[in-house]
Amino acid sequence: MRQALPLQEPDRQPQAARPILACHDLRKVYRMGEVDVHALDGVDFTLRAGELLVLLGVSGSGKSTLLNILGGLDVASSGQVFFEGRDLTAADEDELTQYRRHSVGFVFQFYNLIPSLTARENVALVTDIADDPLEPEEALALVGLGDRLDHFPAQLSGGEQQRVAIARAVAKRPPILLCDEPTGALDFRTGILVLELIERINRELGTATALITHNAPIAEIADRVVTLADGRVLDERIVERRARPSELRW
Amino acid sequence: MTWLPALDRKLLREVTHLKGQIATIALVLASGITCFIALRGTYSSLEWSRETYYDRTRFAEVFARLERAPESTARRIEALPGVALVQTRVAKEVSLPIEGLDRAAYGQVISLPAHGEPATNALHLESGRLPEPGHDEEVVVLGSFARAHGFGPGHRLPVVINGTLRNLRVVGIAQSPEFVYAIRPGALADDPKRYAVLWMDRTVVASAFQLGGAFNDLSLRLQPGASEAGTLAAVDRILSPYGGLGAIGRKNQTSNRILTGELSQLGALAGMVPLVFLGVAAFLINMVLARLITLQRTEIATLKAVGYTNGEIARHYLGLVAVVMVPGALLGVAGGWWLGRIVLRLYEGIFRFPDLVFRLTPGLVMSAVLISTAAAVLGALFAVRSAAKLPPAEAMRPPTPARYRRGLAARLGLGPIAGASGMMVLREVERRPLRTALSSFGIGGAVALIILGHFGVDSLNNYLEAMFRREQRQDLAVAFARPADPRVVTQLASMPGVITAEGIRAVPIRVRHEHRMRDSVLMGLPSQATLRRLVARAGHEVPIPDDGVLVTTALGKILGLAVGDRLEIEVLEGDRRLVRPVVAGFVDESVGLQVYARTGVVSSLEGDLGAVSSALLRVDPSLRTSVEDQLRRSPRVIDVSDVAADVQRLRDMNGAAMDIWTLVSITLAACVIFGVVYNNARIALATRSRELATLRVLGLSRAEISSILIAGLAIEVVLAIPVGLFLGRGWAELFFTRAVDQETFRFQVLIESRTYLLAALVALLAAAASALWVRRSLDRLDLIGVLKTRE
Ligand SMILES: Nc1ncnc2c1ncn2[C@@H]1O[C@H](COP(=O)(O)OP(=O)(O)OP(=O)(O)O)[C@@H](O)[C@H]1O
Ligand SMILES: [Mg+2]
Repeated sequence: MRQALPLQEPDRQPQAARPILACHDLRKVYRMGEVDVHALDGVDFTLRAGELLVLLGVSGSGKSTLLNILGGLDVASSGQVFFEGRDLTAADEDELTQYRRHSVGFVFQFYNLIPSLTARENVALVTDIADDPLEPEEALALVGLGDRLDHFPAQLSGGEQQRVAIARAVAKRPPILLCDEPTGALDFRTGILVLELIERINRELGTATALITHNAPIAEIADRVVTLADGRVLDERIVERRARPSELRW
Repeated sequence: MTWLPALDRKLLREVTHLKGQIATIALVLASGITCFIALRGTYSSLEWSRETYYDRTRFAEVFARLERAPESTARRIEALPGVALVQTRVAKEVSLPIEGLDRAAYGQVISLPAHGEPATNALHLESGRLPEPGHDEEVVVLGSFARAHGFGPGHRLPVVINGTLRNLRVVGIAQSPEFVYAIRPGALADDPKRYAVLWMDRTVVASAFQLGGAFNDLSLRLQPGASEAGTLAAVDRILSPYGGLGAIGRKNQTSNRILTGELSQLGALAGMVPLVFLGVAAFLINMVLARLITLQRTEIATLKAVGYTNGEIARHYLGLVAVVMVPGALLGVAGGWWLGRIVLRLYEGIFRFPDLVFRLTPGLVMSAVLISTAAAVLGALFAVRSAAKLPPAEAMRPPTPARYRRGLAARLGLGPIAGASGMMVLREVERRPLRTALSSFGIGGAVALIILGHFGVDSLNNYLEAMFRREQRQDLAVAFARPADPRVVTQLASMPGVITAEGIRAVPIRVRHEHRMRDSVLMGLPSQATLRRLVARAGHEVPIPDDGVLVTTALGKILGLAVGDRLEIEVLEGDRRLVRPVVAGFVDESVGLQVYARTGVVSSLEGDLGAVSSALLRVDPSLRTSVEDQLRRSPRVIDVSDVAADVQRLRDMNGAAMDIWTLVSITLAACVIFGVVYNNARIALATRSRELATLRVLGLSRAEISSILIAGLAIEVVLAIPVGLFLGRGWAELFFTRAVDQETFRFQVLIESRTYLLAALVALLAAAASALWVRRSLDRLDLIGVLKTRE
């Protein structure tokens, strides 16, 4: 199942690594009739090349909002977002599309596979338009589904579907992987499996990864943990020793 | 809103949510009702006018023309069993040298009884009065002619009656059931300016034509239940010694035959066209409701769980049908009333009835509403039934996820070519073959409608082209008052300005073979004819044999003739001899039931020596008017007709009517196509928004996801176009065989590529309009909102 990848061992000193994605004083306000909901209320945040970062926070603290803005799915009300030093704040629709197309991989709680496409074709959806992608077969082998290429989503379990989604996200070799509760819909064992996969991709491909979870113990697999509360960064800490997902208990 | 039961409030919200779809479906439904009311209403209005008019004026059931018979003959006919009323008349051709007209108008003068109303074919006076006995110069004129020239009672009218120019005084303007469609015998189209019917006192007409105490025209009405065929035969027997030209029934009376033909065309249209709309509306309602019900499985289950009955739930969804029906029906009835009056006005220009109004009867509205409701409910029923059948527990589970198979496209190895997004499109189409087929069929039906609205023009043009470029190539046709010596043709040929002159002998005949019989014309053509040739529909010229006769294919079929058979011909002229020439062959001409032979053969059959009844001329264009003038002044010439002008008029007349049809059919077809594509798009958008949002997240641009959605719709349209073109042709054929008098017209259904192109273009444009709409809503797709929810 494992496959040697033609990649060098990434930089293992996250603090020294250059920032790849950063935001400054990010705010997002939703107008709900009379009241304003401040989903983000001045967030400063950095994701560094090659690191695995976990975003913690209670429900409604603004995690998804932050991730969506960082990934170019949504735009902020104010503040700035930088991708590799480039200001994304002023990017228009087309530039954001290009950004998503080439630079960001997404994994969601609900796998969002295309039901009419096989596993291979779901991945091909991305490799068809990316610049220097993995082969769909290669990407699926990476997530351990090399033998389920021609299965439709309806023929796969939830964990398998999530692995296809991960293969689809990383097949374009994005510098950034954004995961919004990737284990939220999975049982413990399957969740661990998916986390292992993400951790390995981070480690072997050097993809800078931000992962949202409700689940505090999961933070132990990260290089760094950022906690949000009420739309602000409440706490930030560096994990001394990254745990293996298989060591987790919750 | 609290006064409204909760379930109805739910309905109301759904209506607001589905307003676009409801509006388009209502529009399609309205189109169907519009068509139905306009066509059916015009049909029944015309039919009603015809029946009441015929009834009121005692329109005859049997008509006969003859040379001359003493008035006492009529008593013998009156005594025939089954005959109710007999009216004898004197009717003759006249010409009217109207000032300002490039050539004299042709007319018929018909006698009116000296006292009292005619027993048959009474006049409907528009203005003025009938002639008074003893006033020789008083005349009643056909309304269309008077209107074309803008005169009324009191006007002076020059008329050449039996060679004498008389200055008549118009005392009345009238319409007649015999001339609802007033067309000069043998002409292709009506020409109100040049065709007059005059009614004068019997004694005046009789003395002008030396027919005192005699008659040459007879019409009668039958007793209820009497046999028309028997009466026709008996009348023929009695009139035959008096030069009877063969009695005809009402169905062969020129005006009535054309009117009936037009009516049956209209009836066929009224039966066919609304079906398309109603079928499409039923399909759309089914599609939208089925979708809604699948989406609301859990809601349905909840309703059931709290105790709503199946019937209440079914009624709830059928309520949506009512929401579509009410505006659809209102709009449709209004549209039908509007369109019906336009269509009727088209007919008003052609058919003259005393009172022709569009009758929007309650029965018509009721049947329109009933038929469309039936279609709508039928469409809804299949969808609603599945909701009613849903067990509450089952409904609480999410629907089984859509299962896809690799499918034909993948097995054909299209994968690498189509790409992943291409496969999405193809699998979606493959997964719903029935919906794709029905959508394509609906769009195809609309495309076919455009062809049906336009093919008449194409076919007519083709027919006229064939007739006047290939068969009848003369510039002028000269009709003689009575059969003339062949030397007349030589004289005509030597007139300055005449390039070629050819004589034609036309003899009225009755043909029989075995038990079958028809009235026809025997045409004698010169052996080296260049102006009137026999050209088969396929385009090749058919030579006239030296011996025997040629029969048109249509007549041959009717009589069951084969080459070599002996055809029994009764000449309805002169000594009425019976001859039995050999059938030498058939000619597949585009019109009529004629028999052709060499002039010499005709003479020998008929017993006179080569007399000609008309001549065809090719004329130097610069001298044409002077040639025409000269001919008109000759007492032997009864009529000179200009073929090109005839054709042009026929084209114009049909063109105007067809423009309206084309416009109406395009509008309605566009409604249908837009309705189908729009609803498909809406449903695709609703069911697939999650997929499409995912694609956007993966980095596909708006243009790329739009094209995925639109490609699916485009496939349906692209499939529909050939279906529609094919269907349109089939319909046109069906329409033709059902509605057009196959005995007289042998039009070929011809559809020009232009028409196909037009139909395809309309389909593409209407589809593109709905695609644009899709594009707009995709631009508003909420990426995050869609992905946040569980499927
Ligand atoms: N479209 C929206 N309209 C209005 N308010 C919104 C919208 N989306 C998010 N919010 C609000 O913004 C705040 C942050 O939401 P967000 O989804 O980022 O939270 P979260 O941390 O991801 O929560 P969870 O862990 O439950 O996913 C919440 O208070 C939410 O109600
Ligand atoms: Mg969230």
